[in-house]
Amino acid sequence: MAIERSQKEVWRLAPYLMVVLLLGNFILMAFDAKEENSKQRVLRVWTQAAAEFVQSPVTTVTSAANGYFQSIYQLRTAQTDNDVLKEKIQALEIELQDSKTMTAENERLKSLIQLKDETKYKVLMAKIVGRDPSTWFDSSIVNRGNLDGIKLNMPVVTNEGLAGRVIAVSPITSQFVLITDDKSAAAAIVGQLGVSNALGVVRGMNDKDQLVMNYVPGSTPIEVGETVYTTGLDGIYPPGLKIGEVTEVRTGSATVPHVIYIKTSAKISSMQEVAILLYQQTERPKYEQALPNTIKDVNMLANSNVNTAAKPNTNANTNR
Amino acid sequence: MEQIKITVALIIAVLLQWTLRNVAEPLTYIDFPLIIVAYAALQRNSINALLYGTIAGIAVDALSGGLLGAKAFSLTLVAYIISEVARRVYLDNLLLRIPVIASACLVNSLVYFGMHKILGQSPSGSPVVTVAYTLIGTTVIGTVIFVILESFFSEKVQKNKRDFFAPQKDTRRRNPIRLGRRRG
Repeated sequence: MAIERSQKEVWRLAPYLMVVLLLGNFILMAFDAKEENSKQRVLRVWTQAAAEFVQSPVTTVTSAANGYFQSIYQLRTAQTDNDVLKEKIQALEIELQDSKTMTAENERLKSLIQLKDETKYKVLMAKIVGRDPSTWFDSSIVNRGNLDGIKLNMPVVTNEGLAGRVIAVSPITSQFVLITDDKSAAAAIVGQLGVSNALGVVRGMNDKDQLVMNYVPGSTPIEVGETVYTTGLDGIYPPGLKIGEVTEVRTGSATVPHVIYIKTSAKISSMQEVAILLYQQTERPKYEQALPNTIKDVNMLANSNVNTAAKPNTNANTNR
Repeated sequence: MEQIKITVALIIAVLLQWTLRNVAEPLTYIDFPLIIVAYAALQRNSINALLYGTIAGIAVDALSGGLLGAKAFSLTLVAYIISEVARRVYLDNLLLRIPVIASACLVNSLVYFGMHKILGQSPSGSPVVTVAYTLIGTTVIGTVIFVILESFFSEKVQKNKRDFFAPQKDTRRRNPIRLGRRRG
């Protein structure tokens, strides 16, 4: 009889508990959705850090098993690969010689014009220990955190090119969002920096290896196969990182910009290890911070020396 | 004791969900935490089911790039619906549980996607394709996991097995040939 009563009590309480839990979750969601640039939350950070202790050995074991089977498979093509690699080494040796000559020349020129070298940053190797458990998203978690010097928005690269940026950091892990995510964007250029004037913005399309580039003037000629690099104008990624290659151009006109489709250089779907560039964003000058579309905090604007007669349009803020 | 077993199963499910994508991409279409939450909800204890749903959901959200609380919201809702249905309808048969897993998966995916859309987020991929693959993957693997969980958790099943495989002496006694020999 007592069991029967408690069961009834459970049934009576369940709807109230459900409402409370749903409300709590909804508030959590709304709070999380408010901040679009980062996923840095205490709950998230500590869950990731705790899960890493279990995840790291599991990933090591699964990677070792995968590697073993892959090595057996790859043994079959080893001879052919060996011949190809020998040829490549010869070609690279020639390229290296050329590169050394060019570097020396570059150094001489830089010292001549007294340019400050701003592109020096440390690289930290990291292993992907977990992928997004949800089918709807594609972020990854690496085994390096703020104890290793990682901070929010640091660029993540592979040896082939740009992969993404850090969105949450715990003491021992970091979560990064891929460049292919539709919330990711980077200031980019088609062709070499300083040579080309095809500047634009590369955005993710939520596709595995496809990106789209907008705002490139329609009068600028763009060829399929050209390489796209970062310009560093976004203040997140350093200039000169390879993003990908142009696969399709929807040609614009004198007044309509091109729409350029790009295939990422980094093999996003098969990444196992990445490098995090310990690159700090350059602090924007005061006048630039005061621009209406680059500032969120109105009080900051009021404190600056800029004439605040024209109020900033916070709605026009671009979070990309 | 059963609560501890379900809690352990839930922790393993969350870790599997996080790990298996590294091994093979298609394995991401199996929603392990949903399967365990659905199983817990079928045990007819709504409060436990709701708590399992919320905790598992928040754990998945924390490891995911989606909104914190979205998976918890959908799993809590699914847990409540299943426990309410299980209270009114007899769902102890495995065949009846298959549509329950499928429906739970469908509701969970739609609520999760819908909550993101409402709050201005855009999950990647085609909703139809993702929901379809998740539905197939979760229903198939969920059915197998339900059988495994039943064999591990339920003492009743052990008893049923003993009854099903009856002792040999009983069958021998009813054998007409042997009886005939005895008479001879």
